[in-house]
Amino acid sequence: MRRFLLSTAAVIALTCGTSAHAQTKIELQRFFGACDADYATVTDVSKAVGECGIITSLVNKFEADNPDIDVNVTTVEWPGYDQLNAQMASGAAPDVVSMHYSAISDYQSRGLIDPIDDVLSAQGISPDSFTDAARGGVTKEDKLYGLPFDNWTMLFHVNLNLMKEAGLVNADGTPILPKSVDELIAQGKQFKEKTGKPYLVQILANETAAYARVLYTLLQQQNSNFFADPTKITLNTPEAKNVVELMKKIKDEGLTTTGLDYAASVTAFTNGDGGIAINGTWLIGDFVAQSEKDGTALAKGYTVYPVPQLYPGQDSTYADGHSWVMPHKDRTPEQTEAIGKLFKFLADNDYEWARTGHLPAVKAVFDKPEFKALPHRENIAEIAQTGRSLPGAVQRQFAIQDIIGEEVGAAVNGDKTIDEALGSAESRINDLLANI
Amino acid sequence: MAESYRRSQWSNGLFVLPYLSFFLVLLVFPLFWGVWLSLHKVDLFGPGRFVGFGNYVRVLADPVFLQALRNSVIFVLVSVPSLVALGLFLALALNKTTRTTSFLRGLFFSSSVLSVTIVTLIWRFVFIPGDGLLTVISEQIGIQPVNFLSTSGWSLFSVGVATVWWCLGLPMMLFLAALQQIPTDLYEAAALDNASPWRVLTRVTLPSIARTIMLVTIIQIVMQFQLFGQAQIMTNGGPNGSSRPLVMYIYEVGFMRWDVGKAAAASEFLFLIILVAAMAQYVVSTRKSEASE
Repeated sequence: MRRFLLSTAAVIALTCGTSAHAQTKIELQRFFGACDADYATVTDVSKAVGECGIITSLVNKFEADNPDIDVNVTTVEWPGYDQLNAQMASGAAPDVVSMHYSAISDYQSRGLIDPIDDVLSAQGISPDSFTDAARGGVTKEDKLYGLPFDNWTMLFHVNLNLMKEAGLVNADGTPILPKSVDELIAQGKQFKEKTGKPYLVQILANETAAYARVLYTLLQQQNSNFFADPTKITLNTPEAKNVVELMKKIKDEGLTTTGLDYAASVTAFTNGDGGIAINGTWLIGDFVAQSEKDGTALAKGYTVYPVPQLYPGQDSTYADGHSWVMPHKDRTPEQTEAIGKLFKFLADNDYEWARTGHLPAVKAVFDKPEFKALPHRENIAEIAQTGRSLPGAVQRQFAIQDIIGEEVGAAVNGDKTIDEALGSAESRINDLLANI
Repeated sequence: MAESYRRSQWSNGLFVLPYLSFFLVLLVFPLFWGVWLSLHKVDLFGPGRFVGFGNYVRVLADPVFLQALRNSVIFVLVSVPSLVALGLFLALALNKTTRTTSFLRGLFFSSSVLSVTIVTLIWRFVFIPGDGLLTVISEQIGIQPVNFLSTSGWSLFSVGVATVWWCLGLPMMLFLAALQQIPTDLYEAAALDNASPWRVLTRVTLPSIARTIMLVTIIQIVMQFQLFGQAQIMTNGGPNGSSRPLVMYIYEVGFMRWDVGKAAAASEFLFLIILVAAMAQYVVSTRKSEASE
């Protein structure tokens, strides 16, 4: 009996020891949603659609190609920074985390994430292989603090079937989009009159990001330098007032859906409840897939364009991007190497990620024939030049976004006057930035 | 007394040590640590610097804090009486031993075992514009649907409805337990005196469970001041902060803005409010019982 027990213990110890040495485990934490029901075992990335499907199958493929590496994925609710903060504070940070370019300065300035230059060079990845916008997004103090994965902006996703009904389609089948504020209102009214539906499908409830992104875009179009000093915002300006007045007018004239949160607005657009959805690059792949299905509201009637230039200043769109960062922690050389391999794999497969609709972070993808053949990419190619982020030194950009969204939302919904809302947003943001 | 004291040994204290250590580590230590944090300019990731009562001054000067405080007070003032009244009503209605009442007790309690995520998901199906239950009903009967989750006033109301539905089980069970403790001879005496049902309720039942009513009220005040998950998931505190409760304010300041000192100062205010509310109820209940003796 004793011998039996000892030999069993020895076998267990051997098994555990072997498996522990067999695989290098890395903890990856990301947003982009959970879709294990559809993609848990998919390794053919070309079959995947949408952000969640593509990133899930990319990681599956990486694990299949590298049986010695175990990537343990934790999916967090977007954007997941509160959870990451708690993990970092308790010394339990994951090995690799998805992070917006706009959030990197918060973590880099506190030494919470590590530069990845050495990790990339060990895998033969040159920083020059990334686009300027992508590299700029992750570069702080001349070091790369993340693997750039994409650039994104808000776009005009167009339901051509409804636009035809509204008489807002050119002879060549392209949609007639506004070139000024007055045209936007006029076309919105025409659309509503002809279709009985709102012109725009916007995320106006339970979310703040959409308000902030539209405000940033339209301020940029008026050449408003609202973050001339990265530690102080200026919102008590005629330009900001113009934007909020426009947003309020759109709502008051019934030219937009109201009360929809993010998920409801995506559903509303795919159900044909409005003409143009103001939403991000990441939905192009999903909407194209919808448009290829007969019987849907978007069937053979979807296209997409950058947010049009509505003000005479400059053509500009607020842009951000996703990256993969390495929180500061102790790692074995094997783990660092495994992360390097993962980064190399993700960079090599940036085309697959670009199928979501995001602009690639890797320059070479732009020249790939398959990328050029992706639907609608020529329509939005200009955002590579017109996309502009906030100055990289601006910290707490997500908290700022929340304040702007709340205050601008209050003005648009009539809970505050526009002046009150902009004044309150400015003082709240400046109080936040003054107390970092 | 003296005999038992003489026989007591210090080693008997070991029996309370497990509880005491948890109490000290999980309650007393965080309480004092929170006070220490509130006196410092500090984020989540390192030591801070002493700023005295600066964080308290900043909190009191913050209109968003004052709005969150007002929201929490309004929420407690509306939700607690609703929970007490509905819980009592259900307990009175179900204080019988039939199969139907047993089933219904289980049914009404079942919502309490759900997680906040599930509860809010269910109520979002009811309140969400477009395809929500209330929108569909409004359209059927020809009235303009209300955007419950994104209209000032209605958003906090919607959070309140979900909360009352979720939390109703505990008050009902506590009232049921109290009702079953009332001696039946009191009811027999009332029947002999030919007392009306209303008189039985107001002169026998309610006075007999007065302490439980007070207990349920205190528990609910303390619980509802800690409102967070429902508001965060259903309305994200909006629109215009009109459904942002105090705990959500503390969470946003601490975890999203990394201003842990200010969040700790706001937490101390919440602690004081709950303490005062609980003490006030305690004093009232003690006076009442002394007066009745």
